Amino acid sequence: MWFFDNLALGFSVALTPINLFYALLGVFLGTVIGVLPGIGPMTGIALLIPITFGLPPTSAIILMAGIYYGAMYGGSTTSILVNTPGESSSVVTCFDGYQMAKQGRAGPALAAAAIGSFIAGTFATLVLMLIGPAVAAFALNFGPPEYFTLMLAGLTVVTSLAGRSLVKALLATTIGLAIATIGIDLQSGVPRYTFGNPELLDGLEFLVVAIGLFALSEVLVNLADLRQAIQERLAIKGGLWLTREDWRRATPAFIRGTLSGFFVGGIAGAGAAVASFFSYGIEKKMAKHKAELGTGAIEGVAAPEAANNAAAGGALIHLLCLGIPGSGTTAIMLGALLMLGLQPGPLLFQQQPQFVWGLIASMYIGNAMLLVLNLPLVGMWVKILDIPLYLLVLFIILFSFLGVYTMNNSTQDLFLLLVFGILGYLLRRLDIPAAPIILGMVLGDLMEQAMRQSLLISDGSYAIFVTRPFSLFFLLLAIVSITNPYWKYIGVGLRRWFGRGAPA
Amino acid sequence: MFDKRIVWIALFALIAIGVTACATGGGYPSKALEIVAPAGAGGGWDTLARTVQRSLEVEKLYPQPVTVVNKVGGGGGVGLAYIFTKKGDDYELVVYSPPLIINTLNKTFENNYKELTPLAKLITDYQVIMVKADSPYKTLGDLIAALKKDPGSVKIAGASSPGSMDHLSVAKLAKAAGVEPGKMVYIAFNDVGSGISALLGGNVTCMSTGAGESIAQLEAKTVRVLGVSSAERRGGALKDVPTWKEAGFNVTYEVWRGIFGPPGMSADAKKWWGETLKKMAGTKTWKESLEKLQWVDAYADADAFAKFLTEEEVSYKELMTATGFIK
Repeated sequence: MWFFDNLALGFSVALTPINLFYALLGVFLGTVIGVLPGIGPMTGIALLIPITFGLPPTSAIILMAGIYYGAMYGGSTTSILVNTPGESSSVVTCFDGYQMAKQGRAGPALAAAAIGSFIAGTFATLVLMLIGPAVAAFALNFGPPEYFTLMLAGLTVVTSLAGRSLVKALLATTIGLAIATIGIDLQSGVPRYTFGNPELLDGLEFLVVAIGLFALSEVLVNLADLRQAIQERLAIKGGLWLTREDWRRATPAFIRGTLSGFFVGGIAGAGAAVASFFSYGIEKKMAKHKAELGTGAIEGVAAPEAANNAAAGGALIHLLCLGIPGSGTTAIMLGALLMLGLQPGPLLFQQQPQFVWGLIASMYIGNAMLLVLNLPLVGMWVKILDIPLYLLVLFIILFSFLGVYTMNNSTQDLFLLLVFGILGYLLRRLDIPAAPIILGMVLGDLMEQAMRQSLLISDGSYAIFVTRPFSLFFLLLAIVSITNPYWKYIGVGLRRWFGRGAPA
Repeated sequence: MFDKRIVWIALFALIAIGVTACATGGGYPSKALEIVAPAGAGGGWDTLARTVQRSLEVEKLYPQPVTVVNKVGGGGGVGLAYIFTKKGDDYELVVYSPPLIINTLNKTFENNYKELTPLAKLITDYQVIMVKADSPYKTLGDLIAALKKDPGSVKIAGASSPGSMDHLSVAKLAKAAGVEPGKMVYIAFNDVGSGISALLGGNVTCMSTGAGESIAQLEAKTVRVLGVSSAERRGGALKDVPTWKEAGFNVTYEVWRGIFGPPGMSADAKKWWGETLKKMAGTKTWKESLEKLQWVDAYADADAFAKFLTEEEVSYKELMTATGFIK
């Protein structure tokens, strides 16, 4: 049985003491990041990549996946107890979670969030294990044209969902693509935009851009708004566990949240935040006690928390099987894997089975660890909020500069870090999302090469992109996703045109 | 009786020796050594630098600490710029391979490598040309014939940009066979894995890559290796693969790796390293490492290495002019 063989291989890798330690460290750090408001999983992973230098790739990805999952878990705790979401994907959890805590039911709310996350995380891992090898085997037939259009589709899907404004998201993606052109061009060997600076010949270091745009700009935003908001923290009263009635109401919500989160947030690439909003919408339509939503209904915690974790797992499927990140966080993980010398994608399952299956097994273990970490230790996590902001800011600055410098021992990188920190701050002030920049930067080079390889193969004919069926399919997908926001206008226009639009 | 002058001379001589001894710590080498790897950890240059470091330490050939420092970027240019700031410093070494010449000729490097002090050529590796196992091209002759007939019909994959080793090695072969190298279609892939995947997916005709990189695919019988660039047949997995010469094209291609001192290294230090590296190349630690890494011993002393580099430069200049990388 290939299935059990692979799983056995995976556990033999994941259960080594050192990898268990990295999984634990990852989920621990992730939970801390999740609890701290403002430091999202993207910032967290970017900041912590330097500690993976020198680790074997498997340990490094186990650590990063642990941080990713942990942050998803931790975000819910502050939503429920302080009404301050630690992550954008935990915003929805505030609606009912905080109300439950006010009614003295913080325990069941936290438990529902943890259990929902556990169920969804396990589900996503299971699906990755079942369909991952098939998807990867299928994608092995992809040549440069398919890769180009697949990456184009990935880029447009994430861009179209990245911010409130499509124009601003497109602008961000373009900045990322422009950054990716710096350095020696692979197809011609000619340096581009290096201005005679030898350190720029290999392009901008991905980590410098990521830490600058996320971590350092975070600091600047915090400093600009330096005000210690007094947060009322609710005590945890009563039991920690769910009652029989809670279980009866939460179970269907867990299932709905997991499925909707997995498909909308993971497979369709909408991301964890959209997935949690989407699943809350489903609860409003389908839950038995839908009228209670917003006043402290357990479904309102169970479904979105399941959804955001399922989405996180779904995004990893894209990353590992196709090499296409489905979210900003997985884009950062892709960058980190490339730095470790691993090219995520279909070949990974063939060439590095111990890596892929070790990661999958460690995700099971990580999910179980999180359940244990989160429920009994919830009091400790809340204490993290007592860390004064100025101290936190100092630590972020310290780790940013330390991390960037340890990479190449280059002082030029430190200046670039500052430049990108300030750029990130300005972008935030202008409400331009930073995630598409990272995505554009990570995919830009691969995408350009795939396109030019295709054109070399076809002797310069662009028809190669539409005459190959999968390439055509991805191309259409890209067009659909980028025009998505305008459909409603087209609909309105058509109705007007036909004069049949019923007046509201 | 003693002539007082002799006592005085002896005294001054003693002081002079003492001062010199303090300055040089009892002759070369008296200080810690730094070996520059002009690329990131894990690559070929880094592995060589660390293998030299280990051999010097384990075999007790260098009495002081030896460290390896990675100077990453610019295809080795950052490392070269660094070693040029160490002019006359006898405690700096650097490892390089053909890109040292290639990137000087195409003007990627700002410094001229000829100012470096060549100390020894240490190892070498070879290039291969391979096709998919079910390819209609059975021999190197078949492939070259197709190239001659219509250069555009043969898509050649490699894992580095045009004008680098994967490209220039095929160009050298093609030129020897009478094909215009500038007319070949060379497609660069980001790494060996994606190049192989394009080869196996039928998207390209053949692939030019390092001999070591072909072995896993060859053993899995997914590819056929048409020829190897060495002068004599290789052993192991490549024992049935003909050399380019055997296939009828009188040309070889060597991916050498050697070690250099900074510009203006003192004659004493140069002599000391000539002897020490020769000793090192004969040690058990060094030989075991080569076997483990599947590297071929290609030791040549400083003079032979310098002569070899001159020949290499002539050959690359010709090749790069033919392919349009020197204008």
